[in-house]
Amino acid sequence: MNFVPRSLSGRLLALSALTTLVALAFAAVAIGYVLERFVIQSLDQQLDAQAAMLARAVRDDGTLAPSRIVNLPEFESAGQGWGWRVVGPRGRWMGGDPIQEERLPDRAPPPRDGPIWTEHRPAPGEGRTPTGEHVHTRTQAVSTPEGEVTVVVGGPRRLAMAPLREAMVPLLGSLAILGVLLALASVVQLRYGLRPLRALQASVADVRAGRVRHVLSDQPLELAPLAAELNALVDQNEAQLAHARRHVANLAHGLKTPLAALSVKLAEGGHDPDGELRAMVANIDERVRHHLGRARAAAPGSEQKGHTSLTPAIDGLIAVMKGVHAERAIAVTGEIAPRLVIAADAQDVDEMLGNLLDNAWRHARSTVRVAATSTGRYVQVVIEDDGCGLSPAASQQALVPGRRLDERGDGHGFGLPITQELAELNGGTLSLDKAQLGGLRVALTLPGSQAGE
Amino acid sequence: MRVLLIEDDPALSGAIVRALRAESFAVDVAGNGEDGAHLGATERYDAAVLDLGLPRKDGLSVLREWRDAGCNLPVLILTAREAWSEKVAGFKAGADDYLTKPFRVEEVVMRLRALVRRAAGHANAVVTCGKLAYNAQLGTFELDGLPLKLTALEWRVLSVLMLRKEIVVDRGDLMERVYEGDADVDSNSVEVIIGRLRKKIGAAMIETVRGRGYRVTAGQS
Repeated sequence: MNFVPRSLSGRLLALSALTTLVALAFAAVAIGYVLERFVIQSLDQQLDAQAAMLARAVRDDGTLAPSRIVNLPEFESAGQGWGWRVVGPRGRWMGGDPIQEERLPDRAPPPRDGPIWTEHRPAPGEGRTPTGEHVHTRTQAVSTPEGEVTVVVGGPRRLAMAPLREAMVPLLGSLAILGVLLALASVVQLRYGLRPLRALQASVADVRAGRVRHVLSDQPLELAPLAAELNALVDQNEAQLAHARRHVANLAHGLKTPLAALSVKLAEGGHDPDGELRAMVANIDERVRHHLGRARAAAPGSEQKGHTSLTPAIDGLIAVMKGVHAERAIAVTGEIAPRLVIAADAQDVDEMLGNLLDNAWRHARSTVRVAATSTGRYVQVVIEDDGCGLSPAASQQALVPGRRLDERGDGHGFGLPITQELAELNGGTLSLDKAQLGGLRVALTLPGSQAGE
Repeated sequence: MRVLLIEDDPALSGAIVRALRAESFAVDVAGNGEDGAHLGATERYDAAVLDLGLPRKDGLSVLREWRDAGCNLPVLILTAREAWSEKVAGFKAGADDYLTKPFRVEEVVMRLRALVRRAAGHANAVVTCGKLAYNAQLGTFELDGLPLKLTALEWRVLSVLMLRKEIVVDRGDLMERVYEGDADVDSNSVEVIIGRLRKKIGAAMIETVRGRGYRVTAGQS
């Protein structure tokens, strides 16, 4: 099992919580130790005073002079945990509560021969009374000509611990509050500190949606290299896409000249009496066109959307229609609202409107009506003709790729579906309806752009 | 009627040339943009068929060069580039018509005839002059409503004169529009063709204007 959080802020939070906890625990132990030393010291002073008086009562012959024993008041009442003991070569004397030592008052075990403690330096120790009371002891050695006399004095530990416990409650409380405050600070710091990451994510999303071309390069020092790498990746991606598109286009164009030669040769002198071979050439051409069209249609989602002024685009295409369909005297009516800008690549706009205008020109008897209006955030281009139009069922089928509804002329069967696909890729829609002029009414709705307005 | 074909693929240009000649056109071929640009600027043609992807100089540059020099030769672009933005660019450069590969050769022929007819200022597909009618869509002549059989050279001469009916066509101009660039031309051959045509459609239909040239006329003026 993996306990490392998956979230970056989770990791940072866990780490900061852990270090805070360790630091607080260390502070608690250190402060507790100092406090204990402090409170034990006052107990030690009492015990040392008693020990000193007992030491003075030791005679040179190693016995204790009862007349010289002076007890501090605490040692007079039994059962409170106060007591002393004097042990020498000539005997053993006790006062107060008997003390059972539990731990030798030094780290190293005492050597078997020779004095352990000097006369002037009492050593601390721990013990218990028969009632189970914890006792803090002080042990002092007194040298006499007869031998070593050990003076042990003990006092109740709880006496020292009570103030310690009293001090520990507010101490730990404030440490806990400090910990919570530090944790809150970490959370705030993380939220603030990681904000540029969320901004970067939003920026990447903008690039993917095509709202902007590049990730914002104005980033904090640590994220600037990442942003630069991302932008380089975007550029590389675009270059590769352009390369792939060029490659497909070159392949398609490269195939078309030999196809054209083949088609013209087949038409010569009875090579293809029943037209079967020319139909096959037409089939190959259809496929090449289809894939070329698809390659063009597949691109816009990954690129930045351009801004295309509608009027020049329509003017250019109408000039093409008037040239290509010069033999058909078609009048153009309708009005295009000024300064309309479409949020799409100029090539896509040409492709969509070109297909629709070409269809209209092909089917119109005498008139094509082109109108464009702004509908809030969208621009709607309506193209109508006075041809025979399409039934609702045929309209449905017209948007199925590869289905050619009208065999007149050299129009490709996927003009409408490709246009629909392009419109959807650019965030728009295409709808077919019956025109007031009698023929087909095609409404192309595309997102408008504020640029240039 | 003389056409300049600029196409770098020999198989395709060969096939187009055969098809155009079968339809009585005089055709000159250039295999690259530089030669094509030069021919178009210096020789007299009724129309040009221009490929866009050409070696040495691309088709759009050739076209712009002609238009910048004031040359208004009708141009049919014949290319694999079929995106609408490419067509717009073609027309902006000065093209008169645009056809994408692959194509039916009949379509090229029909569009060329229409281009030449419109360039001569005729909006309708049928040009008539008295009892003579030229159907520029089919490339056929009718005399008194009956089909007229013509040789290629006769057709070239008569179509040039018909499209400029009632206008005197310079003799040199006429010769240039009838013979291919590398043809070995006898200076009297146009007279011979005119003589044969007069026999077919009536001597009064073609008038000789001394020192200038010929004109087709209905005879009213």
